[in-house]
Amino acid sequence: MPETDTGERPGTEADVTDAALGATGLTKRFGGIVAVDDVNIAVPTGELRAVIGPNGAGKTTLFNTLTHALAPTGGEGYLHGEEITHVPQEQRPHRGLARSFQSNELFNELTVLENVRIVVQTSETGTFSFGLLGDGRSQHVDRASEILESVGLSRKRETTAKNLSHGDQRRLGIAMALATDPSVLLLDEPTSGLGSKETGQITDLIRTVQEDLGLTLMLIEHDMGIVLSISDRITVLNRGRVLATGTPAEVQANQEVQDAYLGGMKEEI
Amino acid sequence: MSDRTSTINSNEVGVFTALQSVVGRYRVPIGALLLVFSVRPVVSMDLLLGYGAVANSILIWMLFAASFNILLGYTGLLSFGHAMFLGIGAYVTAIGLARFDSPFVLSALVALLVAGVVAYLIARLIAQKGEIYFAMLTLAFGTTAHFVANYDPGGLTGGTTGIAGGAVPAWIETERGLKYVSLGGFQFDWYFFVAAAVFVGLLCIWQLVRSPFGRTLVAIRENRDLARAMGINTYRYKVWAFTLSGVVAAYAGAILEVNEQGATLSLLTVQTSGDVILMTVLGGANYFFGPLAGAFVWLFAEDFLTDFETLVLPLEQFPLIRVDLSGVLSYWQFFLGLLFVVAVVVAPREGIWGLFRSVVKKAVDRIKSERDNA
Repeated sequence: MPETDTGERPGTEADVTDAALGATGLTKRFGGIVAVDDVNIAVPTGELRAVIGPNGAGKTTLFNTLTHALAPTGGEGYLHGEEITHVPQEQRPHRGLARSFQSNELFNELTVLENVRIVVQTSETGTFSFGLLGDGRSQHVDRASEILESVGLSRKRETTAKNLSHGDQRRLGIAMALATDPSVLLLDEPTSGLGSKETGQITDLIRTVQEDLGLTLMLIEHDMGIVLSISDRITVLNRGRVLATGTPAEVQANQEVQDAYLGGMKEEI
Repeated sequence: MSDRTSTINSNEVGVFTALQSVVGRYRVPIGALLLVFSVRPVVSMDLLLGYGAVANSILIWMLFAASFNILLGYTGLLSFGHAMFLGIGAYVTAIGLARFDSPFVLSALVALLVAGVVAYLIARLIAQKGEIYFAMLTLAFGTTAHFVANYDPGGLTGGTTGIAGGAVPAWIETERGLKYVSLGGFQFDWYFFVAAAVFVGLLCIWQLVRSPFGRTLVAIRENRDLARAMGINTYRYKVWAFTLSGVVAAYAGAILEVNEQGATLSLLTVQTSGDVILMTVLGGANYFFGPLAGAFVWLFAEDFLTDFETLVLPLEQFPLIRVDLSGVLSYWQFFLGLLFVVAVVVAPREGIWGLFRSVVKKAVDRIKSERDNA
């Protein structure tokens, strides 16, 4: 187990069972390529953890394995101390683990309201339900409206999702993840492709949501400014392995991280 | 004076908007009700066919296509074997009537049950396969159903001839080639029975697709991976969509059995499965009424164009030009095929109904803007 000279010693059992979200020895292989390599991670309740690393470091694959969108090749996953390694993907939102996507994954032809409303409906009725009575579109509207209000999309509730601006689509993605009523939320590059103004708005939104709902957050992000300003701790991935985990200051001071990834970043900040 | 007019106006507006909201909410059932009872009067007009016999099968096929659209339009599943369920509906009903002397209602209920069980088991096996594999497997199961009926197991299905004799319920009376329903001392035209039965079927589909269950199917159609990530068990929803769609198709099959006084092997052919796909896409899979429009155009064109051999211009009474079209129109399927290709190329999910809607919408918008300008 490589021990980093800063921060936690990753992945001891105590960490994992105490944490909101944890993994031990998590591995994902695609043929000969090891995209996620023996990762130990433990995110304590209420923490905002950023995951950074160069392109191809395995950040999104880590999210996919944590949410079981991809079955891990090895290792275990934990949610609030409970082992969830083999829990199917569609059951995880009902246990409080939600995610957003790097690309804008939406129900494109449906309205903004209906995108969120269907997720609220799912969250309230479970992975499968024979709801054959009534008008679906008139149910769970209040809750969906509340969520749209909280992300600032109220005025666009009747807009078709595919016609939203890129920034609003990112907001909708976050709104849908929130509609699952999560305790742990994984956000995959929530500000990618946004201008600086919208980036600021989304960052504020993330911060507000985390404080208001007391969420545990994991965040993949390329913008080091955002990472250093909002995260409690940072996990650095490189070639599928955890290079270091620690507070922003600790990670910046870490020589290995400097060499592998940050380069001349320190002077810049 | 001006005050009074404005109050009246606002009252009228209130009633009007209330009416509008009711019509808006129930426009599908209202439309379906108007539709089922107007198909025969419309096709019977002298200008069109001049006779109404085809209206019965048009209605039944409309219901069959609508049941198929639960899969294609609402869940995003392409099945090449939907004829299997129409066939099960017709065959099991006919077997009950002709071989076991059981009453129609019981035979039809057994038919729905058999179709439901078969659909459920098939869906359990194939619902999670990729699109191509799903389509190929439905084709395989559809062909299997045809094979079984053709094989005539235990003398039940009648092989290539199908079931013809003794497969008519006791309450159906035939006079001079026209069917009447005689129930509890009342006698009425078979068409009204078909219209009512098809209306009930359409109502069931409408409720299914507007329900929370149906809205989840739409989410799965839109983005299967996202639906799973948001906590939807896409597999179970697809299994039940397939099952319910099969049951409604069998319901259409049971009505068709009475209409055709038996079950024929042609119901189970791949061609029947293909026709329902073409009708649905031609009509517009995006809309509730799309497949109905497709079925109507398809079957109407079949009858209309085969009869329509000589084009007389301008009118029969003043014949200036006579064009013999019999040579061209015997290829009516070619023209329908051409229409289909155009529909798919222009807007694959919109179809005839989508085109009709957009034309109506444009006209309404123009009238509105002219009124506002005036």
